[in-house]
Amino acid sequence: MSAEGGMRSARRSGSGGTGAVATSAEARVPLWVQLTSLVLALTAVGIGSYLTVAHYADPAALACPDTGIVNCTLVTTSSWSVVAGVPLAVIGLAWGVVMTALTVPWAWRASVPWVHRVRLVLSGAGAAMVLYLVYVELFRIGAICLWCTAMHVTAVALFGVVLAGTALGAAGRSADPAHA
Amino acid sequence: MRVSTAGTTHVVGIGRARVFAPVLRAQSPHLSDLPVAPPFRARTHQEENSHTMSNKNQMNKNQNTKTNQNTNNPNRRPARTGPSGRTHPDRRGREPVPASGLRRFRTTHPVLAALIPVGLVVAAVATMVVVKATGGSPGPAAAASHLTTGNSATSNADTTALPPSVVAALAVPASTLEAVGSSASVVMPSPTGTSAVAKTADGKVQVTYVGAEYCPYCAAERWAMAVALSRFGTLSGLSGTHSSGSDVYPNTQTLSFYGSSYSSPYVDFQPVEEATNQVVNGNYQRLQTPTAAQQALVAKYDTTGSIPFLDIGNKYVVTGASFSPQLLQGLSREQIAAQLQNPSSPVAQAIDGAANTITAAICASDGGQPASVCNTPAIQSLVKKLGA
Repeated sequence: MSAEGGMRSARRSGSGGTGAVATSAEARVPLWVQLTSLVLALTAVGIGSYLTVAHYADPAALACPDTGIVNCTLVTTSSWSVVAGVPLAVIGLAWGVVMTALTVPWAWRASVPWVHRVRLVLSGAGAAMVLYLVYVELFRIGAICLWCTAMHVTAVALFGVVLAGTALGAAGRSADPAHA
Repeated sequence: MRVSTAGTTHVVGIGRARVFAPVLRAQSPHLSDLPVAPPFRARTHQEENSHTMSNKNQMNKNQNTKTNQNTNNPNRRPARTGPSGRTHPDRRGREPVPASGLRRFRTTHPVLAALIPVGLVVAAVATMVVVKATGGSPGPAAAASHLTTGNSATSNADTTALPPSVVAALAVPASTLEAVGSSASVVMPSPTGTSAVAKTADGKVQVTYVGAEYCPYCAAERWAMAVALSRFGTLSGLSGTHSSGSDVYPNTQTLSFYGSSYSSPYVDFQPVEEATNQVVNGNYQRLQTPTAAQQALVAKYDTTGSIPFLDIGNKYVVTGASFSPQLLQGLSREQIAAQLQNPSSPVAQAIDGAANTITAAICASDGGQPASVCNTPAIQSLVKKLGA
């Protein structure tokens, strides 16, 4: 009976959004996931910042080869570099900032479920955006921007780490006797 | 887990529900009514006996069937068994868990299973790279050039890809353009009298071109436009074409803006090629239609309706060619391109000279940016001539 009583208690805490469930989640998301995701998100912020500054200052000043298939200026000044009047560099920077906020250790431990959902959705949206932008670079512009590619790799890697962290967290909670 | 109620056998998803229900409850307070995993407490003899007695007949049919305290729980959903219909004991060996291959993989390798979407993304990118590497899509930016080659396949079968040598030659060195300066044979852009420059939301000067591939005057003007625009940004996707063979200055060799794109921090270039050089049912084949705004520009500043029409920020317009297409007669695109680098050649004086006037009009509209282009003596002189 004591085990059943414990389960009922955990259930009430979970439904209320605080308590034992959050503590369990904290314990089950590995530290490497928290740190790797944070580093990747900060990398995205760094690249996004550089591209944003270059966009408004001098796009041709990007530290990037300007010959052959690699041509950052061609990509970052193309008509596809702006969405609804907002430069993609700014969108990427904003995405990086939000992902940073969602991947700090406190966010991984958050008891409110929407934090985990938004993290997962935004990381997935980033990966989907990568597919679109790679298509645009290869088939519409005909050039590759190295800085954009670095951002793409970061976004896909972050998507993977977030997925892994979410899976490990879920598996950890399921294996937790208090939540089994 | 098989549960018998009132003579009906259900398969209860204990294993899967135990894995995911706590996660769902933790992430979704409104899902708190999801079935709670059974407590796994030992059943009392009384419970055992009670269940056994109430399901005696069914128990006789299936010796593997176990009892459960939550048999009558309305929230408990039947689970699906795998294709084989087999069930497996969970890690504690207490309950048979329905499992398919995928479900078992997700349970035993949660991280690998979670990374499947990442693998799909990587595979999609790899596929695009392979298609790009093996396909005939737009070529890379030419070395040391702001112009790129274009598709050989457009709606006009008579349009071809520009050879790399032609693309590279369109990036005329600043020294050559400076040496050409202004030419007496070149018509200057006309001021519209409007002081407000038409710009995009991000501050780029709007440059609109309306022409057609059959038009020999357009054929001549495009060379100058390409040279001028390449000083402010990057043209890509250009194609090679020629004017109509049945019009004046027949088969004037040129490039087409159809299917091209232009990127620049200073200029927003919107070209419209209204028709090809191919006659279909007595008319040139339709290619592009100007937008209502572009048609309004033509109606306002090009009252004769002649092409080419070039609007630079609504501040300057060019109607008709800036020089005579006669200069280009009999020359191939490669020959024209080669002469662009020679400031003493008549072709360079015409094309580069016209490019300088267009450059000056853009400089007079965008606040003199970039300085490396607009602050040269030749351009400064032309800006003054434009009355800016």
